[in-house]
Amino acid sequence: MITGTAHVETLTQEIATIEQWSNLGAELLGVESFQLIAEMRSTAREAVLPAGLHPTSPPALSIQAWNVAESPWGPFSFATTRVSCRSGVRARGFTTAAVASTATAAEGLTGCFGFPTTVGPVKLRRHYDGVDLESEGLVVTGLDPTPLGSSDVQYTGTLNLANTPNGLRLVQVEATHSGDRVERVQGRILDFDPAQWGNSLLSPYHVVSTSIAVETINLPAVRFVCRPGELAFSGTEKIEIEQR
Amino acid sequence: MKFGIFFELSVPRPFSRAIERQVYDTSLEQCRVADQLGFDHAWAVEHHFLEEYSHCSAPEVFLAAVAAQTSRIRVGHGAVVCVPEMNHPVRVAERAAALDIISGGRLELGTARSSTWTELGGFGADPDDTKKTWDEFVRVIPKMWTEDAFSWEGKSFSMPERNVLPKPYQDPHPPMWVTVTSPGTELDAAERGLGCLGVAAVSYEEQDRRTADYHRRIANCEPVGSVVNDQVHTMNFLYCHEDYKVAKKVGLPMANTFNVANAHLYWTREAYATSAYQALGNVGRSLQQAAAPADDPSAAKGLPEGLGVGDPDHLIRVIKRWESVGVTGINFILNAMELIPQEQVLESLRLFAREVIPAFRDSSVALQPVYAPTSIPGATTVGGTGR
Repeated sequence: MITGTAHVETLTQEIATIEQWSNLGAELLGVESFQLIAEMRSTAREAVLPAGLHPTSPPALSIQAWNVAESPWGPFSFATTRVSCRSGVRARGFTTAAVASTATAAEGLTGCFGFPTTVGPVKLRRHYDGVDLESEGLVVTGLDPTPLGSSDVQYTGTLNLANTPNGLRLVQVEATHSGDRVERVQGRILDFDPAQWGNSLLSPYHVVSTSIAVETINLPAVRFVCRPGELAFSGTEKIEIEQR
Repeated sequence: MKFGIFFELSVPRPFSRAIERQVYDTSLEQCRVADQLGFDHAWAVEHHFLEEYSHCSAPEVFLAAVAAQTSRIRVGHGAVVCVPEMNHPVRVAERAAALDIISGGRLELGTARSSTWTELGGFGADPDDTKKTWDEFVRVIPKMWTEDAFSWEGKSFSMPERNVLPKPYQDPHPPMWVTVTSPGTELDAAERGLGCLGVAAVSYEEQDRRTADYHRRIANCEPVGSVVNDQVHTMNFLYCHEDYKVAKKVGLPMANTFNVANAHLYWTREAYATSAYQALGNVGRSLQQAAAPADDPSAAKGLPEGLGVGDPDHLIRVIKRWESVGVTGINFILNAMELIPQEQVLESLRLFAREVIPAFRDSSVALQPVYAPTSIPGATTVGGTGR
């Protein structure tokens, strides 16, 4: 079975730091969310993941964005890119970059959950016939909403590479999404700068599916981390309460 | 209780022309040996683009070789993906009928709709439509097999009147099955009078519930064909050795290797927002057997619940449990990624046939022709298996 081949050094240029583990999660209320899944060229299959993760075949990139009305860090907008992968037998997304619209949100997402978040513009605009997402190096659109059931969109857990009290680790963020309104749209990537989003090898060229939702997102406190160079079967560590 | 062997044709990396050939060769030899030993079915899946996990993209070719190299084992073409971008229904009916003729009336036809985006996306199929096209396929294939003047105006295809040829050797036609992974699919099978071909080893408790629901529903089914197949088969792994510790040491890594490869597939639900695929994961997810309950024969030996790995006495107890929850057949995966040397695989098969199968049927029965579909009262008389 194939595993990632990226050198950890190349993945750690702009990673997050979690100073200490927290028992506290974060509830994000009134979230307008967006998710686009696109296949990538096979050159980006193993080369964008650390050795502890397995790529999917075909390789795929998910672009997610949120407009958050209420959170521990106030209202904010957020966009992130993740490479689809497997940690052990679990479906995950490995974060390559993240942008938050406010410094407070960026600090919270970075310090609590390890998202490699920078502060920048994120504009997620819903309108009658679809949605637009804009950030630096990213322009995406989705048209013609079709209603779906609230459970018809799959959000996989996230792995953020971060410096943590346990050392350099893949931090597992297992967000839960409770959708009130979910729609599928016809997504198009109008502009994507791979270097801006974490890795020049990222090559989303074939959009598979795009969805938008109104939902509540719960980010529970981190419970597990993995060593980035070791498969999850042996490299997973539980975050003990005493450590928090 | 029927016993089958089940092939994904998994190929380990590094890929080479030689290893592809080796997997096909070892699998065909396993079929020949199983045929001689009294196993009932040899199934081969249809998968596309699934590196390592399954290189079985032309099962009808593999199964034609199985049919030619064996004399009694039934040939399981399953499951054929009932998605028009992959298979036109006429081609499915034609190929299956030809295989039935080649095998002398030993064909079983499984049907499915594919679970991975890797496959559906590769063929440009719309995940929203696969359940509908599967339903259309299973209704038209028996008509193509039995009607001299077939025509159709449907959703996924339409055609003017033609005689779809050849007709199968079995009269009226081969038994049909549906692969069942997600809860509820067994009811789709039952409503249509189709056999329940489990490809996920669920717990005894879950199987008991599914089997009961299946039998309740199939008792009042509206069959899509001219025969009702009311069999409930499950999938499992097999490694049998006199010493259960050896069986465990060899068999568990094989099962785990398969499960991990399965979990690494790129599932449709993960890629495509749709109500048509509600489960993330397929076989491997459900084959991550839980630790056995205390009253399970596997518990004392540290083996997962219901897994076909162990010494003969242990396997007899395990299979009796499956039998007690209504399972009428078990199809075994014998190897994964060529992890177990071929001679050990064959020894496991021989020991199982010698020590385990006789606990479920008389040895003289074991080598007789295998299965005839249940006939529908008032429907066309079943002509038997043609063997």
